[in-house]
Parts: sequence; structure tokens; C-alpha cells
Amino acid sequence: MASKYVGLFIFFHIVSLNVMSQTSAFPTPTASTNDKTVYNRQLTEERPIQAQIAEADSVKAAVQSAESKRPTSSKVTESQQDRDGLTLLKSLADGQKTQVKTEVSAKGVQYVPDESDSTKSRRLVEDYDSTKNGMDNGKYQDDPETFRQVDGTPLTAEDIVQKIANKIYEEDDRGVFDRIVSKLLKLGLITDSQADTLEYQVAEALQDLIAKNAKNNEIEGAESNDRETKEQQDDQGSDTNTDTWEQPRSRYSNKEGDEADDDVEEEADKDAEVQGGNAGDEGNEVSPEDGLQDLQYFPNFYLLLRSLDSENLDAMIAMQTKSKLGKSLGLPDFTAPTGKNLDEDDNTKAEAAKMQREYENLKDSTKEEQQSPETRQPGKSQTYLEAIRKNIEWLKKHNKEEGKDDYDLSKLKDFMDQQVDSYIEKGIIAKDEGDTIKRIYSSL
Amino acid sequence: MKLFLTVLLLGAAVASATSAGTDGEISYEYHRYEELRKALVSVWLQCPTITRIYTIGESFEGRELLVLEMSDNPGTHEAGEPEFKYIANMHGNEAVGRELLIYLAQYLCNQYQQGNETVIELIHNTRIHLMPSMNPDGFEKAASQPGEIKDWFVGRSNAQGVDLNRNFPDLDRIIYVNEREGGANNHLLQNMKKAVDENTKLAPETKAVIHWIMDIPFVLSANLHGGDVVANYPYDETRTGSTHEYSASPDDVMFKSLAKAYSIYNPVMSDPQRPPCRKNDDDSSFKEGITNGGAWYSVPGGMQDFNYLSSNCFEITLELSCDKFPDEDTLKTYWEQNRNSLVNYIEQVHRGVKGFVRDFQGNPISNASISVEGIDHDITTAKDGDYWRLLAPGNYKVAASAPGYLTVIKKVAVPYSPATRVDFELESLMERKEEEREELMDWWKMMSETLNF
Repeated sequence: MASKYVGLFIFFHIVSLNVMSQTSAFPTPTASTNDKTVYNRQLTEERPIQAQIAEADSVKAAVQSAESKRPTSSKVTESQQDRDGLTLLKSLADGQKTQVKTEVSAKGVQYVPDESDSTKSRRLVEDYDSTKNGMDNGKYQDDPETFRQVDGTPLTAEDIVQKIANKIYEEDDRGVFDRIVSKLLKLGLITDSQADTLEYQVAEALQDLIAKNAKNNEIEGAESNDRETKEQQDDQGSDTNTDTWEQPRSRYSNKEGDEADDDVEEEADKDAEVQGGNAGDEGNEVSPEDGLQDLQYFPNFYLLLRSLDSENLDAMIAMQTKSKLGKSLGLPDFTAPTGKNLDEDDNTKAEAAKMQREYENLKDSTKEEQQSPETRQPGKSQTYLEAIRKNIEWLKKHNKEEGKDDYDLSKLKDFMDQQVDSYIEKGIIAKDEGDTIKRIYSSL
Repeated sequence: MKLFLTVLLLGAAVASATSAGTDGEISYEYHRYEELRKALVSVWLQCPTITRIYTIGESFEGRELLVLEMSDNPGTHEAGEPEFKYIANMHGNEAVGRELLIYLAQYLCNQYQQGNETVIELIHNTRIHLMPSMNPDGFEKAASQPGEIKDWFVGRSNAQGVDLNRNFPDLDRIIYVNEREGGANNHLLQNMKKAVDENTKLAPETKAVIHWIMDIPFVLSANLHGGDVVANYPYDETRTGSTHEYSASPDDVMFKSLAKAYSIYNPVMSDPQRPPCRKNDDDSSFKEGITNGGAWYSVPGGMQDFNYLSSNCFEITLELSCDKFPDEDTLKTYWEQNRNSLVNYIEQVHRGVKGFVRDFQGNPISNASISVEGIDHDITTAKDGDYWRLLAPGNYKVAASAPGYLTVIKKVAVPYSPATRVDFELESLMERKEEEREELMDWWKMMSETLNF
């Protein structure tokens, strides 16, 4: 009996040895178990396009509604269309900066009456808000046609130059150029040499514009000027100068009105002189100088528009931004499937917003301390965004190779949300990082 | 032999395959605590199905002791799947290891997604834990030093001034006594939880790691240091107390094999012509890029020996750079020198003998002992009855035993790799008694029938 067991034991031992010598490896999980979940990808390729269209439509709608509110002014004649190019640029950029809008407009309220560029940059951003600044966004619909015609035609370049000159004139703010130029320089879209070329062009245009408008103002503003000059003799001048300028500036948002007074005062004075008498001469003396001084960084819009023509502006800015930030997203080119385009668009918006934030931080010296956490924040978000995109790409590719149905994005999103929450709880991720990650996933 | 050559070829293939892969996505720079955290989170975001971040506790100053786990089923121990860990930067100013583990995490994730079969197989069959920094407080101190040259000592110890690699309970003392006078040859820390929690001398980082070792049935491990270039194996503390003395452990043969498996792919470490890091250094104990700990210099209370003597885990110490905190622009080179070694060392966990110990009903028997004849060091089965016994190639008699069960011995021929599967079914003593009783009854019945009474 005991020997029976011994015999069995030996038999089993021999069998097991044979078995062991034949097995080469620890049993590995079969391929089917490797794929834990079957992701059902819901036609996400279509959604991005729709989202884009919806967005473009909403921008147009906002612009049109703003346009309908604004009273058509006779002063703005042929330059209206010309100005739209800038507007297009601004509105497109605006679409990307939606995240920062509220933040920026809040800053605009606390306007500090100094001449530094940072404050002016705030105002420029306010202009980008299509709901406030109807005039700038007027005739948005015509722009694509005007723009798309650009292909070496001097006419368009002049149009753009005109528009900008008008802008400067209307705002009485030379900083318009600085803002635009600095931004574009920062984005790497233009070079300094290009700036010089247009400097003179715009100066000339501005010169003409002032001369033209000076004549108009003489006629229309004559009555109100008479009234107000009487008051001028009584008051010190700040209020009247404001009144003098209420007409041309009535188009602008009220926010700018009061607080901008002090800054504009000087220019108002100058222009008042222009209105009063030697319109052409004085204006000619003053404005070109001012224009030239401030048009240091003016972009070469002509070339810019040419390049704009061939691309989606969003994508181009994004590309420049990316190269500036020195990080690659891992996506080969823009002709990738539309599903990737959505990711790209989201990324460009986030990046443009970040660039805007960074730019503004840099401009304002008082905010330098806050600069590092804020600029780090964009860097972190971008890294996370890249990582998430790589995962999505891999999931798509992986499921394709396996021959399975596409992954389920919503399931993945739920899973990640859950994980993020648990990580936040354990102190592995900070709350704001977790929110960023969730936001990225919900934007997919 | 053939198998050995095959494995060598495989290893070479690994080396060439991995060098052909893209390292382009890794940025080689020092990571402070926040950046370290961000880097691990990014890896997790890129590879969420095969990674998981967790923390084993907090440092003295409250920084999380972060671990990135990589496996095909992160968060769980799969029965039969061996557990592996890398720990770096326990000396805060020994910075290269910390960075290498971050790069390794990124690398494994990238390679997995790019279809690198070696990496995929490794991640599917192993549970890999990477702890880039056991002493994040020390690192911050070291990294905050102004200027390029970092002091040899600043940031080495934790925020309390404790050298973590001298802070572990000294079990070498106990094993040496047991060797002479008899006693247990494994799991020497009695009442482990109590001993740890009530020990006021243990730094929070040390405590956290000890708990970690107790919770997870690690099989193989390495801890990463700087200040020299060599792979160091147990025992670290000399038997007689002298400053230099070769102090072999029962698994000396296997440890040498493990240490060599690392050094062989590191061209600097394995270079026989390599001059010592400093002119007057005594590296006479270094052979082929490896050294016995005690032969180099005696280290009491170290983490390496603690692993071996308190748990089933075999750990070696890797010294990876002459300079403890070298220039950032050298990090890429260190990565290239160590990448293949780091991957190959993880693969060493799939060696020797492994399997399950169950009773006759198929239930797993946890905490059963697995002893190998001729090697005075036993290991135990984990909760699912699974075990992994690292062994160098050879013929062995492997015994599985558990209280209340009859011991079973099996003969095994072990190749270099992969691990040989040996399962045990143990008969409990009660069962045997029952059988014998039944046999006796049968015999008595037969006798009575024959003899007619």
C-alpha cells in the first residue's frame, strides 16, 4: 500500500518532469484577455467637424448681432471693409481666447491710467470681444472674400494698412500697433524687418486719414465744438475734452469711456487743435511722428495675409505657438484624420489662451511674481494634453490592429475621472490638475 | 547550454531592439518634486491601462513617496505573476537613479505603445514597481545647492538627518548568530508589524518601505545609488565586524548571476579597464562590474540585506555614477548606459523555479515553505499559494512544507531562463491518518473474512 503511493508519486514525478521540460514559459494570458474593455467609438470623427462649424457659426452670429446694434456711421466709409481684415484676425484670435476673456475683461475694468503697454493690451483684448465692439466686427461676412482674394494684389495690402490706420485714429492709441506687433512677434509670425516696411505705409495712411477726418470733423463737429469751447473757457478742460471726443468714441464700449479719458486727454488736445484750425498741417506734423515712433513692431500684414490664405489661422497660430514652446505634439501634419483635428483644435485654443496669458503676464511688471506659476500651469497642462493624446492615438491604433470595435470614449472618460478623483484624494494630483485633466477628457 | 546561448542572443536582440526604438520623447533633465510628480502623472495619462500611481506614505516633510506601477492589470496581484521593484534616491544627493527611473517609466510606456514585444511581454508577465525617490526631502536639499558642484554629503540623509541606508533593522546580526547556533534562515523580523510601528528610531521613509515590503510579495529588487559604478550584492555587513571581508549569503551564486545580469549591459560598469572613480579608491573587490557588499565595505542596517532577511525579496545595490549629482547634460548618457541593464535586470525575475502549493482539495496554502537542498535560505508562498524561487542553472531538490502537512520533495533541472513551473499538492496530516486508518480497517476486514472471525 505504501509502495502504491510511492509508485504513484514516482509516476507523477516523471510525468511532471516531462511536462516541465516541454513547457517553455509561464502560461501567458491569451490575447483576448489583454483587452480589458471593448471601446465603442462613437463616430467622433464627425463631431469635431460639427463642433468647428458650430463655433464658426456662433462667432458669425455674435458679430452680426453686434453689427445690427451699432448705428451706421457716415464717417466710416470705404475704410470699413478694410478694417475688417484686422477684425477677422482679431475675432479668430478671440475665439481661441474665450477662456481668458473674463479674466482679461476683469483686468480691463481696473484700468490704471498709465501709458505702459500692458494696460493698452487689455483694451485691445476688450476690442476682441465681439459682443462689445460691434463696429470692428462689422461686415464680417465680407472678409473671407476679401481675404481669400489675396495673392500678391497690392490692393489688399493697402486695405489692411488702411484698416489699421483707421484703428489707430479711432482709438487715438498708438499702442494698437505695439499690441498687434508684439503679439505677432511673440507668436513668431512676423519678423522685425517686416515691421519696418509697413511702418511707413501705415504712417502715410494715417496721415491721409487724419487729414480727411479733420475736414469731416470741422463740418460735423463744428456746432458741438462751439458749444463746448464756451464751456472749455469755464472748466479746466478734462470734461470738455471728453465731450469733444464723445462723438467719435461713442462707438466704443462704455468701459473704455471714463477711464480712458485721462490717457486720451493729451491726444484729444492735439486733435482738438487739429479740428480747430490748421487741420491738415498740424495733423500732418504730429501724426506721422507719433505713428513712426510707435510703429516699431508693425507686422507685415501683406505677407501675413498671404500665408494666412493657405491655412486655417487657428492651426497656424497653434503651430507657431507650439514651435515657440518648443514642444512637439507627436502629430505629423494637419492632414491627419479629422478626429485628430479636433484634438488639434482643442489644443490650439488652449495654447493660444496660454500664450495670451503668458504675454499679458510678461507685459505687466507688477505681475511678474505670478508669472512663474501661471506659465508653469500651461506647461503642465500641455504635457498632460500630449500624454492623453498619445493614449487616445494608441487606443485607436491598437483596437484597429486587434480588429476590434473602436474604444468607448465615454467609458474611458468615466474611468479616468474616477482615477483622477482617487488620486486627488491621495495627494498624488492637485485639485486643479485633476480638473485640467477632466476638462481635457471632456473636450475630446 | 543551448538555452543559455538563446537567452544571450535574446538579450542582444533586446539591446539592439531597444536602442533602435525612439528615445526622442524623453527629456533628460532633473526633476524636482513637482516635476517628478508631473512626469509620473504624464506617464499614467499616456498609458492608463498598464500603469497606476500610488504612494506608500509621506516623507518627514510631507512629500509623497510615489510609486509608478506597471503591469497588464495594475493595482492587483495576479496569482503566479512575480513582483519586482526599483527604488532610487534613498540618499537624496545621489540623483542619477531617480532620473533613470523616471526615464524608464516613460520608456516602457512608449515602447509598449510602439509594439516592442520584449517590453509588452515583460509588462504582461510582471508587476513592476518604480519608486524614483525614497528620500524626496534630501533631494530637494541637494538640488537647492547653488552652483554646479554639489557637496558630497548635503541631502544624503532624510530631513531628520537619518541615513536611510543605515536605518533598517539590522537582521544580519541575527542571521550570523543563527548560522552558528541554529535558528530560522528566513523572515527574521519577528512580529514585524509591531516591531516596526513601535520602533521610534525608524524614519518615516524607512517605515513606509518596510510596510511596503510586508504587503507585497516582492521577488526581486534593486536599489539605485551614486558615488561609484558597480553592482553590489549581499551580505553588506561583515560577519566578524571587520571593515572589509567577503560576506557570502546562502544565495551567493544566484546573487552574482543577478549582479552580472545588470553590469553586463552597462559598458562603464563592466569595463575591466575602468579606472576607479577617485584616485585613492579601493576597488579591489570589483570583478566584472560586481562586488560583494562586505568585501567592499561593511554596511549595517542597510535596505538590501533587510529585504533578503525579512522577506522573500532578493535585492542588490546598484551604484551608477562616480559623481553623485552630476551635470544635467550628462543624464542622457547615463540613461543610454543603463537602459538595457535596467530592462534586462527586470527580466531576471523570470528565473529559477516557481509555481503553486495547494492542498489535495486544490486550495492554496499560503506561507508554506519552499526549501532548496544545499541552500540555507527558504522562501515562503504568498496568499494565493504562489511562490518564485530564484535559482541559477543546475539540478535541485525542491521541498514544499507547511505545518500540518506532509512535506513533498521534487527534483528539478533548472535552466538559465525562463522559470521552471513546479506545483506542489500537499497532503495534510489528518488526511494521511485517515488513509492509514482505512487501510488498517480494510486489512482487518480481509483477515477476518479469511480467517472467519
